[in-house]
Amino acid sequence: MSSAKPRSRTPTRAAWRLGLAIVALLVLAMLYGLASPGLSGHGELPTNRSLRIGITQEFESLNPLIAQMSATFYLYNMVNRTLVTVDENTEFKTQLAVQMPTLENGLARFVEIDGVRKLEADWEILPGATWGDGVPVTCRDLELSWEVAQSPHVSIASVELYREVERIQIDPENPKRCTFLYREPKRLFNRQFQFYLLPAHLERPVFEKYGDQPEGYEKHTLYTTDPTNPGLYHGPYRIREVKLGSHVAFERNPTFYGEPPHIDRIVVVLIPNTGTLEANLRSGSIDMVSTLGMSFDQALAFARRVEAEGLPFNVNFRPSMMYEHIDLDLDEPVLQDVRVRRALVHAIDRQRLTDALFEGEQPPALHFVSPADRWYTEDSEKLVIYEPSRRRAASLLEEAGWTLRDDGFRYDAEGNRLRLRLSTTAGNKMREIVLVYLQDQWRAIGIDARIQNEPARSFFGQATRKRLFDGAAMYAWTQSPEFSPRSTLHSADIPAEENGWSGQNSPGWANPRVDRLIDELEAEFDADRRLEVIHEIMWHYTSDVPVIPLYYRSNTSVTPANMTGYRLTATQVSATDHVERWSLEPVQAPPPRETRP
Amino acid sequence: MTGFILRRLAQTVVVIALLSFFCYFLMTLMPGDPIDEMVAANPNMTAEDAQRLRELHGLDQPTYKRYWSWVTMIAGGDLGYSRTYRVPVSEILGRSLLNTSLLAGTALVLSLLVAVPLGVWAALRKGSRVDYFVNLFAFAGISVPSFWIAIVLILVFAVYIPIFPAGGTSSIDFGMTPGEAIIDRARHLVLPVLSLSFLSIGTFVRYTRAAMIDALSNDYIRTARAKGLSWERVLVVHGFRNALIPLITIVTLSFSTLFSGAIITETVFAYDGVGRLVFLSIQRNDFNVAMVAFMISVSWVLLMNFAADLLYGLADPRITYS
Repeated sequence: MSSAKPRSRTPTRAAWRLGLAIVALLVLAMLYGLASPGLSGHGELPTNRSLRIGITQEFESLNPLIAQMSATFYLYNMVNRTLVTVDENTEFKTQLAVQMPTLENGLARFVEIDGVRKLEADWEILPGATWGDGVPVTCRDLELSWEVAQSPHVSIASVELYREVERIQIDPENPKRCTFLYREPKRLFNRQFQFYLLPAHLERPVFEKYGDQPEGYEKHTLYTTDPTNPGLYHGPYRIREVKLGSHVAFERNPTFYGEPPHIDRIVVVLIPNTGTLEANLRSGSIDMVSTLGMSFDQALAFARRVEAEGLPFNVNFRPSMMYEHIDLDLDEPVLQDVRVRRALVHAIDRQRLTDALFEGEQPPALHFVSPADRWYTEDSEKLVIYEPSRRRAASLLEEAGWTLRDDGFRYDAEGNRLRLRLSTTAGNKMREIVLVYLQDQWRAIGIDARIQNEPARSFFGQATRKRLFDGAAMYAWTQSPEFSPRSTLHSADIPAEENGWSGQNSPGWANPRVDRLIDELEAEFDADRRLEVIHEIMWHYTSDVPVIPLYYRSNTSVTPANMTGYRLTATQVSATDHVERWSLEPVQAPPPRETRP
Repeated sequence: MTGFILRRLAQTVVVIALLSFFCYFLMTLMPGDPIDEMVAANPNMTAEDAQRLRELHGLDQPTYKRYWSWVTMIAGGDLGYSRTYRVPVSEILGRSLLNTSLLAGTALVLSLLVAVPLGVWAALRKGSRVDYFVNLFAFAGISVPSFWIAIVLILVFAVYIPIFPAGGTSSIDFGMTPGEAIIDRARHLVLPVLSLSFLSIGTFVRYTRAAMIDALSNDYIRTARAKGLSWERVLVVHGFRNALIPLITIVTLSFSTLFSGAIITETVFAYDGVGRLVFLSIQRNDFNVAMVAFMISVSWVLLMNFAADLLYGLADPRITYS
C-alpha cells in the first residue's frame, strides 16, 4: 500500500518544506558564522613570532629517564641538554660540559682500585647553566639521574649506561665539578649523550618520597604532575602547555645559558595520519613537518609538487644511520652454505634499486656502518664487495650443488627446490616494493623466493626477536656514530630463551674472532687501532654474509622556505638539538608596481 | 517497573565482570608484552633489564593474579598508569573521553536532525523522485568510506576554500577570550562532525523510511483516517510513534560506537579523542588504558541497551515490564 497522503493537503507540504528550509538555513548560518578565512593562515610564510611543527608519532611525559619514544626526545632536545651531544655534522661535542675529558687532556685517567683497573673522569658543567627557575645546573642533578636510573622501582629500559658509573664524587667547593669513577675503562665513557640530568632541587624530594614504591616515582615526577614548571628545563625553550595526544607548546626560556633562540614560540602538533600532513601544510595549519613525519615516498612525491607548483617549502633529505638490511636465518639449512648467501648478494643490483625507487636519495649499503660515520669505508681491501653479477651468483649456486632445471628453478641432488621465505613489516609500502624487486632478482637465478609479510607487532614481537622468521627478514637498525656493534653482531646477543630473548643478533651469527674484536673495540682507547678493529669486523661481516646490506635510510623533513639555521641530522639526536639557531627570515615584499599617471 | 530495573542492573554488573575477565584474558593472548616492545626498540636493553621490568610490572605473574591485581586497583578508585604516555590513565582518558563525546554527540544530534525528517519525507513520497534522491543520498552515506569523505572535506574546506582548520581539537593560542575559545572549538568540530554524520545520516534515513512505510501500511492508519483524525495527528501519533521502535534500537546502539566509531575520523582530523587512544594502547600493549576503555565501552553498550528497553515502553504502551 502506498502512503496515502492526499496531494490536496498543501498546508502540510508547505509546513514540511518550511521546516526543512529553516533547518537548512540554521545549518548554513552556523557554518557561515564559524567559517573565518583569516584565521587559517593559508599561504602565509611563518615569522619568528611562532612556528607550528607537525609530527606523526605520539609522545609521552618528558621525564628523560622514563621516556621511550623518539618523538619525546625530539621535543626534549628543545628544553634540555646533555653533557655531550652529536652535532649535525655527526661529530661529538660538548653541550653542558665545559670540556670533554680525555686521557690526552688529563681530565681522564686510569686508576687501580683493589687491584682492578678502572677509569676516572672529571666533568665540569658550564658556569652559566641554570634551570628555568634560576637554580644552577650542577653535578647533583647528574647524581640524581644516576640514582633514579638504578632504582629497582623505576621503569627504565636500559640502565647499563648509568650502571657503568660506580661513583660520582662532587667537588664540595664547586658542585658544578665532579669526578666519575667508571667500573671498566671503556672508550665511550665521554660520549654518553644519553646520560640525562634531572633537576635535583625539584625531583629529589619526589624520588625520596615515592622512590621506594613500584612505579611511584614515575607517577609523581613533576614532568607528569607539573610539566610547565620552568625549573624542569634548562634548554633554549621551556614548556608552556602539554596535551598528550594533541600538542606541546614551547616558549623561550629567558634563563638559557647559550645563544638566545630566534623564534618566540614553537608548537608541535600531533597529526597521526601521514596522509593529511600535506593538506595541513598547504592549508597553513602547520608550517613545517618534523623528521618524524612524512614517510620517505611521501616526501619524494611532495618534493616534486613543491618544485612543480613553486610551493614555499624545502623538502630535506639526509642519509641517516638507519641501516636497512635483510637478516638471514643461519639456522635455515639452505642458508648455512656461505656460497648461497654470497650468491644472494651478487644477484641484486643495489645501486639500480635505490636509483629506481628512491631517486638516489637513499645510498646503497655495503655494510652496517653508515656513510655519516667516520668509520665508514668503501675500500675493497678492507671489505668483500659483491658486484652485481647474475653469472657469478649462478656459478656460486652451482658450486653449492643447486642445479637449474627446465622449470627455471634450482634443485639439490635430492630434488629439493631452492626456496627462500622473505618477510618484512606488512603495510610498509616501501619495504614491500623492495621485497618484490628482490624476489624478481632472485627468481632470475632460479631461487623460489616467497614473500610472507607480517604485521609489525608480530614481526618485531615474535619473528625477529625470537628468530622465527625462517629465511630472510627485512628491517632496519638504528645506530650511533662510532658505537659498538655488540648487540647486533656478538654471539652472546643471539636471542634465546636463556638470555630472555634479548640482543639483536637475529641471524644467529657466531664468529669467535668477531666476538673478540668487539670486546677489543670497546676497550681500545687508540683511535687508529679502533679503526683497524672495526674494519676487520666489517671484513668478516661482508665475507660471512650473515646479513644482506640494502641501503641507508634517509631522514626527511619539510621546512618553510624562509627558514635558516636548520640542518637535518643523520643520527637519533634530532635537529631540535640546535633549535636556537633556527630562524624565519622576513620575506621581502615585492616592489610596488609602477602605475601610469 | 522497579523490579525490572533492579534485575537488569544486577545482570549488567555480572556481564561487566565476566566481560572484564574475558577482555583481560584476550589481551594477554596477544603476541608480546610491553617489555618485548621495549626490547625491540632498545638494542641496549639486557636480559637482566627485561627481567627486572617484568617483575616490576608483575608481568611474570599468571594471568589470573594480574587480573585480580587490576580489579583490586580499579575497585580502589585507581585507574592505573599508562605505560605508553607515562601518566595516570585518568589524566589522559578523561580529556579524550570528553572530546570524543562532544564530537560523536554533536554528530549524532546533527544526524538525527537531518535523517529523521528526510526519512519521513521519503516514506511519504515513496517511489517519487524525492524518494529516489533521498535513497541515493542515503546509500552514498552508507557506502562511501569515512576516511575518503574526511580527506575530501579537508581538501575542499581547508585547502582550496580555506575556511575551516584542517585538523586538531582547538587552536593553540593563549590569548583567546572564553567566547573566542568556544567559537574556535566549534570551528574545529565542523569538518569532523560533517564527516562522522555522513554515514549515520544514511543509516538513519534508511531505517526511518522503512519503519515509516511499514507503520503507514497498517490498518490502524486507515482506521484512524476513517475516524476523521487529521493527517498530521495520524502521521505523528499513529505513524511516527510506531516507527520509533526500530529507530530507538538503531539510535541507542549508535551511542555505543562513541568510542570505536570515531577512530578513523579522529585519526584523519588529528582530533584528540578516545578512539585513537584506545587503538594505540592496544597496539602498544598498554593494558591499563585499553582495559579501562573496554570497560567504559562495555558499560556504555549495556546501559544503552537498558535505556532502549525502557524507551520501548514509552513509545509503545503495549510493552510492559512485568
